[in-house]
Amino acid sequence: MADDVRRWSDELARDPASLVFLPLGETLRRQGQLDLALKIAMRGLERHSHNPDAHDLLARIAVDRGELQRAFDEWDMVLRLTPDHIGALKGMAFVRFQQGNTPEAEQYLQRATEKNGGGDAEVAAALANMRGAGRGKRAAGGGARDASESNAHSGSPLPRPAPLTPHPAAALFADILGDHEQTALLLDDQGLVLAGIYVDGNGDDVGDEVGAELSGVSDSARRATRHLDIGEWRAIILETEVAVVTMAPSKSDGLLVVAASKATPLGLVRRVLDRCLERARQWLEAGR
Amino acid sequence: MSNSPFTSVLAALTRQRGVRASLVVDENDGIVVDSNLQIGQDGDRVAALAASLYRKARLSARAAQLGTATFMQLEAERGRICAAGRNDLVLVVVADPAANIGMIRVEMIKAAGGLP
Repeated sequence: MADDVRRWSDELARDPASLVFLPLGETLRRQGQLDLALKIAMRGLERHSHNPDAHDLLARIAVDRGELQRAFDEWDMVLRLTPDHIGALKGMAFVRFQQGNTPEAEQYLQRATEKNGGGDAEVAAALANMRGAGRGKRAAGGGARDASESNAHSGSPLPRPAPLTPHPAAALFADILGDHEQTALLLDDQGLVLAGIYVDGNGDDVGDEVGAELSGVSDSARRATRHLDIGEWRAIILETEVAVVTMAPSKSDGLLVVAASKATPLGLVRRVLDRCLERARQWLEAGR
Repeated sequence: MSNSPFTSVLAALTRQRGVRASLVVDENDGIVVDSNLQIGQDGDRVAALAASLYRKARLSARAAQLGTATFMQLEAERGRICAAGRNDLVLVVVADPAANIGMIRVEMIKAAGGLP
């Protein structure tokens, strides 16, 4: 990845009109280098102001920076240039949901489903979750069943995050996690979910079950570090056949769990964990 | 000192920068099968605690439908514990915080694949 960044940077230096600013900006965004990613995207847009992918990139960076309205405006521009852009519709739905405008978020998701012939599993799952919010959890799970089947066809073994969920606490980490195959849970000292969400392959939120299982690991970690005299534990990284799971202690003996697909680079998952930890700290200190 | 099937693997791991101890441990009872320890390291204690932690993590991951665990790393203020298992054996490494954990991880995963 470092080689790619260097290669793209060199190419952009040689040819400022090159479109490599798109993968370069996206890679920097994923690495959390948001200021640099923004700079690259803005320079690219100066030369490619009618390129929908450039506006899409800028929107994603804006979301990561917490600039939701700016992101919405950029995706709106994408739609003007490419009316069938599914990513823009999903992004606008995400922003509207984050802003508390659930009906409008649902409209954008519905449009995304229609444009894609209902074949986007992530959109279907998010739409099912949102609609199911008013009908209870069972209904949400049932509504997302088609989505899980699509996930199986896409070869994605990791339970997907649900970026759109009806409770604000459930969306605490949504902007950090973005639309990657990542999910995060904040648990209290009893292993109960405080914030975040964890959706399994059937579209059900299994945060309580996962939290209960994984929270016991922190007790073992605490015992091990105490007996081995290596100080307080800071993180556990557990790799499995299908996922990378990172855990870190949070305030008041709580636990933060971030899971990502096996394909996600370990270092990136670790960075996401750190960012989620900081978000959790702020959220808990704000008295939630 | 007698050689076991794990002697060379453990010696290679302990030669990595920052590694204080490497052990092969029975996951079920936490008993040391073989070890290569720097002076001052309590192999029995490390084995028992690391095996317990790895077992807990592995079972929790499976219960959470995350699949079979392949590698675990615990980071603490003054050290790291890494574990990679196969069947009932766990390869454990205790390392300094500044150790090159990427290299250790690669070596451990490779070595764990060769556990009986």
